Order: sequence, then C-alpha cells, then structure tokens
Amino acid sequence: MKVQNWILTALIFFFTLSSATAQSNSGDFMRSMGKMYVVVAVIVAVFMGIVLFLVFLDRRLTKIENQIKDHG
Amino acid sequence: MDRLIKKNWWKALGVLILLYVFVMGMLVPLKPGITQVTPSATRTNSQIVLDVQGYNTHFDEAKDTMRIWIKMDDEYILAATRITVKGPTQVEAAFEIPAYLPSDRRVQDFALVIDNHIDGAAVRPNALLVTQDSIDLAMGQTVWRSDRMENLHQLKGITFPFRNILGETIRNTYFHVSLWLAMMIIFTASMVYSIKYLRKQERRFDHWAAALTTVGLLLGGLGLLTGAIWAEYTWGKFWSWDIKQFTTLIALLIYFAYFVLRRSFPDEAQQARISAVYNIFAFVALIPLIYVLPRLTDSLHPGNGGNPAFGSEDLDSTMRMVFYPAVIGWTLLSCWIASLLYRTAVIEEHLWDEEPTHD
Repeated sequence: MKVQNWILTALIFFFTLSSATAQSNSGDFMRSMGKMYVVVAVIVAVFMGIVLFLVFLDRRLTKIENQIKDHG
Repeated sequence: MDRLIKKNWWKALGVLILLYVFVMGMLVPLKPGITQVTPSATRTNSQIVLDVQGYNTHFDEAKDTMRIWIKMDDEYILAATRITVKGPTQVEAAFEIPAYLPSDRRVQDFALVIDNHIDGAAVRPNALLVTQDSIDLAMGQTVWRSDRMENLHQLKGITFPFRNILGETIRNTYFHVSLWLAMMIIFTASMVYSIKYLRKQERRFDHWAAALTTVGLLLGGLGLLTGAIWAEYTWGKFWSWDIKQFTTLIALLIYFAYFVLRRSFPDEAQQARISAVYNIFAFVALIPLIYVLPRLTDSLHPGNGGNPAFGSEDLDSTMRMVFYPAVIGWTLLSCWIASLLYRTAVIEEHLWDEEPTHD
C-alpha cells in the first residue's frame, strides 16, 4: 500500500511537470487542437472507467437477485 | 419503472449522450474574441493608438481585410485611421477622437469592434472610456465623422461564444449548470415517490425515494463543487458567501438531514412515513431557496441579483446543442445509479425481512 502511494504520487508529479512545460513551449494564445484531443481522451478514459465499474455493479446485483429468485 | 431497471438500453443511451457531450463540449472552438484593449481611457480632442489583443484570431493572415471601429451606439461609429497588425492576436488601431462627442455624458463608453474575413466580427463592450471636459451635444453631433460599419463578415463553422473573463470556461456550462437541472429532475422524481408512499404504503416507494435522494444529493454536491472551482477563476474566490452559493448549500443540507432523520427511526414503517413527509418539505424548500431568494438581492451568479441571465443571451443555439443532451445524459446516468441503490435496498430487505418487497 505504501509503495503504491509513492508510485501514484510520483506519476502525478511527473504528469503535472510535463504538462506545465508543454504549455510554456507552445508559447502563443491559440489553442493547439492536438493537445485538446489528449484532454478529451483523458476525460473519456476516466468516464468510461466509472461506467465500466457501474456495469460491473449492475451485473453483480443481477447475479445476487437471480440467486434469491432461485433459492430464496 | 421496475421493469425498466433490468433493461440496459437507456443506460447505454445515457453513456453515449455523455460521451457526445464531453467530445463536443471540449472540441468545438470558441468564436474569435477580444481579450484586452489598452489604454482603456482617453480624452476628447486626442489621437490615440489602441493596443488590441485577440483570442483565437488570425490577424496576420487577414491583414488586408482588417477593419476596426469604436462604437457608441448604432448611430455613432468611428473607424480607425490606421491599423497595424503585430501578430495573429495583436493589432494596433489609431483613432482621432474629435473635440466633442455626440453625448451629454462626461464620460462616454465605447465598444470596440473588429472585423476580418477569417475571424468574422468580434466586439468588446466598454472597451474605451472617453472623457469630455466640455459637453456640447449639438457640436458633437456635427463634428462626428459618422463612419459606417457595414458588410461584417460571417464566421463559418460552429463555435461557442467568447465572453470576457470566462474565456474557455464557458464550457463549464455543460458540466456545472447541467448537473443542477439533472438534480432538479431527480429530486422531483424522489418527491413523487414520497407522495406515492404516503398514499399507498409500499416499501419499494420508500426505497426509490431514498435512492433518488442519494443521487440527487450527489449531483447537488458536485454542482456546488464545480461551481466553486469555476468561481475561483472567474469571481476570484472559491466561496464568497454569494447568495446563490449560500442558499444552495442550505438546500443541500436540508436534503442531507433527510438521511440523518431516517437513521433516527428504528421502526421501518415509521422511518418511511416520516422521511416521506420530510422529503416533500425538502423539495418545497428547494424552489424558493435556489430560484427565488437569489433573484431578490445582489449576486455574482448569472441570472440573479440583476445580472443578465446566462440562459437567454449566452446560451446560444450552438451551446444548446450540447447543453440539453448533457442534462438528459446526467439524468439517465443518475437514474442508473439510483436503480442500483434501489436494487441493493431490496436485496438488503430480503436478507433481513420475512416478507421481502415484491417488484
């Protein structure tokens, strides 16, 4: 658990740093569409992760309900 | 309702709608706009060079078709005498302010309008304040050059509005305002189930009321959080005890107390009955708290306290394309989560009771 926490912290730190440098490199005020696609991909990934978890919960509840129906 | 919870099509629909909202909400570009005009004040009878900064603009590519005006109203417009493009988002415009203004105010505000064939037309209201020491309305009208602002270019393609201070955060409309509307729908459904329970004491109505209230509270909490994050970068602070923030917090606390109330009654029938009554009261309190009170006094929040409503002017047809699906998507997703909570409550009841709830 402790090791996982450190790895997670390191990853977040790394990504924060790299995104900060990426901003200063582009230099102008125009939004670079390439980077925006990355943001969208991240949002979609997070969202699909949550949705897949909901699907898993849904399936688990269905299993329990079927067990109750069969065995009471 | 209960046949529906086993079906999957509406759950998938909610997910797909939200995916569309995320993609469109983030990828559609903002309309080119004007972020800064310096200097912002001058006097009559002067020559001034305004430094104008744009957003999402292409001034350098549109050098030949650049036109800039300062505009008092539809009748009194002054064109720039010289335009120097410094970069894609930087341009200088020289103006000759006459000795008198066609206005009887000491300080008159002007909007700045930019037009070119790539970016279309953009306006920044109150860009320039001109002070006139001697007011002579008649003289002002005579000496005004009366330039025309015609044939403004239309921007091709779908864009979201550009607003001062907001900038890209206008996209938060899809992720903050939509949560509140979805919450209203969910709380309405929860109240309906509470009323149903009071009329016919079926346990499942109580389970639904509790499940929907849980999800509604989740939506409201997220709405408050997203609002605070947005406020930090537009109002200056996460929490400013603004009336809308305050009354919404109270409304959510009232709903939170619903769960505390439930816990305090060990007898299930009593728990269900009292919490149903409380739930109805909580919803009735919601309306004046969130919609009426904030409009009665000063507020930073759009739509309240004298501010123009975010809905009419800023939610234009392009934003509506993403906003209404967002509300539907969040509502469907919330119903899915509520259905999972409901099914859990039914199973729990089966574990503890002699007579389980029949669907």
